[in-house]
Amino acid sequence: MPSYTYVVKGGKLLRARGYHCEIIRNEKTSESGCGYSLLISGDCRKAAAVLENYGIPFSITGNSYA
Amino acid sequence: MRDAVINFDNAATTYPKPASVRRAAFLASSQLGGNAGRGGHVLAMRSSQAVYSARETIAGFFGAEPENVVFTLNCTHALNLAIHGVMHGGGHIIISSMEHNSAARPAVSLALEKKISLSVADVTADSSETAENFRSLMRHDTKAVVCTIASNVTGQILPYKEIAGLCRERGICFIADGAQACGILDIKMSDGINILCTAGHKGLYGTAGTGLLISDGKYKLYPHIQGGTGSASSDLRQPLLLPEALESGTLNIPGIMALKAGAEFVASKGTDNIFRHEERICRRFISELSGREDIKIYRTPGAEYVPIVSFTAGDMLPERTAAVLSGYGYCLRAGFHCAALAHRTLGTKNGTVRFSPSVFSREEDAVRLAELLRNVTV
Repeated sequence: MPSYTYVVKGGKLLRARGYHCEIIRNEKTSESGCGYSLLISGDCRKAAAVLENYGIPFSITGNSYA
Repeated sequence: MRDAVINFDNAATTYPKPASVRRAAFLASSQLGGNAGRGGHVLAMRSSQAVYSARETIAGFFGAEPENVVFTLNCTHALNLAIHGVMHGGGHIIISSMEHNSAARPAVSLALEKKISLSVADVTADSSETAENFRSLMRHDTKAVVCTIASNVTGQILPYKEIAGLCRERGICFIADGAQACGILDIKMSDGINILCTAGHKGLYGTAGTGLLISDGKYKLYPHIQGGTGSASSDLRQPLLLPEALESGTLNIPGIMALKAGAEFVASKGTDNIFRHEERICRRFISELSGREDIKIYRTPGAEYVPIVSFTAGDMLPERTAAVLSGYGYCLRAGFHCAALAHRTLGTKNGTVRFSPSVFSREEDAVRLAELLRNVTV
């Protein structure tokens, strides 16, 4: 996710819907450098749809959504 | 001479501050030792979480989204970010004739550099006339309108909702200066405001060195200050997403936590109650001075005001009046209040003296001040 602000907002939205989320610091989330990720346990496709619905920018890294 | 200092200059900055605000600043200084949004260790995460919670509080207070709350140094900083950000690339801007220099100077500066064109809409005591003055200046290339919600000189409330409506119909960005209104009037982004700029240390009871820019997310703001944001650090281009796009550099965490406490304090009191308390003091002050032809009060029947009273006393220069009152412990601001346009509009050649109470002010102090004023200006 592009910033701590969005990762917290995204995490709150998902937790309110029963997802287990953890904010982690990634020193290199993408080509653009360090940032924060949301580690999600559960159905990530549905979680992604929630984030999209609320206009939370994110990208997918490996099996997680960053 | 009195020993106690009585502050009637709360339009400049509120003092005293609520105990909860002082406590929040102290706790932040002693416990939030990490740099918000920078790093993943426990101190950094604790500070990051605290700053986010402040964004949520402010967003809830004004009806915005947390990511659209930008912490600034003061209202001037916020207005500069807004005006330079929206007007990047040129266009036409309209400001009111009652603007503070914090809005007037960035607009004039861009106009003098021939980067934008500028119009000034006359403000009168008649709200419909004022709104019409704005409407008549709107053009096909008008990108933004900047309007103070309430004048910092007289306290006059401008018809900001009507002007916002005119902007919305035409796709013009409406930038509101809420420095004298936030915490006193119930200001919401749903009033039609696209970008709200305000101070943290006035009606929101935060500490000095805090301000806010709140966006509704509709208009892009080009960031004219670039630097570290704690994100996308390998990219030499400035991130464009709010709030970080406009928050380069380390945040004022104690100030932000104090501002959060201030907004909570105001919410607990209620803006209606705060307004009523302060306006009662203003009316009493005016009433105590009635019958003195030589004391001119800058309020016009029919116009609405936030709790500010500007006045002049006979032939005494405003700065001299304030100096005399200061000798008795009363703090009032005299002069031009960093609002050259407003004083030009009012025709106040030497400025005025400004009386501005806070939620902590007492009516009996205003009565004593009026009595003193009557005596020293005989």
